[in-house]
Amino acid sequence: MKPLRVAIGLSLAVLATLALGALHVPAPPDFFLLVVADMAKGGAAVPAMLVGLPAGLLEDTLLAPGHLLGLHAFSKILVGYLLATLGARMVVEKPLAVGGLLAGAVLVDAATLTFLVWVLKGDFLPPAPWLLLARAATTGLFGGLLYAASRVPWKQRREARRRVRLT
Amino acid sequence: MAAPTLTERRPEIFLAVLLSLCLVALSLQVRRPNGRTVGEGWLLTAVSPFVDLVTAVRSGVHDVGTWATSRRALRVENRALSAEVEELRGELLRLRDAEKDKGRLLELFGALPSPPPGTFPARLIAVESSGPFHTALLDRGAGDGLQLDGVVLARAGLLGRVIALGPRTARVQLLSDNTAAVGVLLTHASRGGRVAVAKGDGQGGVSVEYVPTIEPVEPNDVLVSSGTDGLYPGGLPVGRVASVRRNKTLFWEIQVSAAADPHRESIVFVLPPVRKSDVTSGLSVMERR
Repeated sequence: MKPLRVAIGLSLAVLATLALGALHVPAPPDFFLLVVADMAKGGAAVPAMLVGLPAGLLEDTLLAPGHLLGLHAFSKILVGYLLATLGARMVVEKPLAVGGLLAGAVLVDAATLTFLVWVLKGDFLPPAPWLLLARAATTGLFGGLLYAASRVPWKQRREARRRVRLT
Repeated sequence: MAAPTLTERRPEIFLAVLLSLCLVALSLQVRRPNGRTVGEGWLLTAVSPFVDLVTAVRSGVHDVGTWATSRRALRVENRALSAEVEELRGELLRLRDAEKDKGRLLELFGALPSPPPGTFPARLIAVESSGPFHTALLDRGAGDGLQLDGVVLARAGLLGRVIALGPRTARVQLLSDNTAAVGVLLTHASRGGRVAVAKGDGQGGVSVEYVPTIEPVEPNDVLVSSGTDGLYPGGLPVGRVASVRRNKTLFWEIQVSAAADPHRESIVFVLPPVRKSDVTSGLSVMERR
């Protein structure tokens, strides 16, 4: 089920990125990071990195910063590894903590990208701070909400409601 | 705490591999201002030692090839130059010979500024003096106008006379020959002249006979041809008295140092033979003109 989940997650990330891009949202969440984080939350580093690769490549294809294919792949693999390592060492249960972790991951991702561009192209192009913070915030918020939503026992609640209706 | 094994480090290794692959892929795309990608730059840096090695080997091979080619060319050139040097050396020798010949001719003409008609220059190409008969060979003969009994004269004095003629060669009897004789005039600055006969001794020398001991003779007295023998004209230098000895007879034993050495002469004059009328009148060479 995992590959299907990843495929659906990446497809949705592409759709969401394109949709928000079409809407000219200034600081959309990093949906690809959310897919990687979803894979890394159990502490499995290799699957997280393996998801980070296509996720980053897709992001490169969509955004193509400087026409460098692999730039986001590099950062997503690294972020996937870091998130998986953290997930293996600590238990993050609260959605707020998950959101904070995701926001931090966005910052690491941006720092990695800036560093890579600087090394490869010789241009130091840091993102605008407020845009970066906004992106980190939206990603953390959206990721936290998704996490919180994923923790809700929807089935049990539906069953309970059905039972109440029947009685 | 035990160090993590390779299996336990698998995610880190995987991370390193994936990041390296990404980095390589990125570096292959980044184009520097010089037109090369970063990857190309890195690759060039990595392979530069090999490039240097190949360049050095190629340069070495090229140098060896150039050396071989230039060596071959140099050898060919050297051979050509050696041949040219030999040719020039030969030419130089010929020119030196010609220069010497010219000098000798000038000396000859200096000694005999106005030779009589029928006088020819000739090369003395061989001297035979090992036996009792002393002869020389000239490179001119009857075909060149030489006549039998022609008088052979070197720059220093009388050498002999022509005794045999070929079309292109002539055989000369030298004064030192055992059977050669010439009438001479023994001259001294204070005492005047005295007629005598000079003969070859067959050993390379010339002696004077029949000079009575009552006649004063001293070393360095000059001998010139008298012109009375019917073979040689008068006035030609024959030599100088080398030594004078008194023997048991009434005559001096006089050894003569010949004026002309056939071994040192290469060009001679051949004068026409003496006419009978010249003999009776006792004309000298100059007077015969």
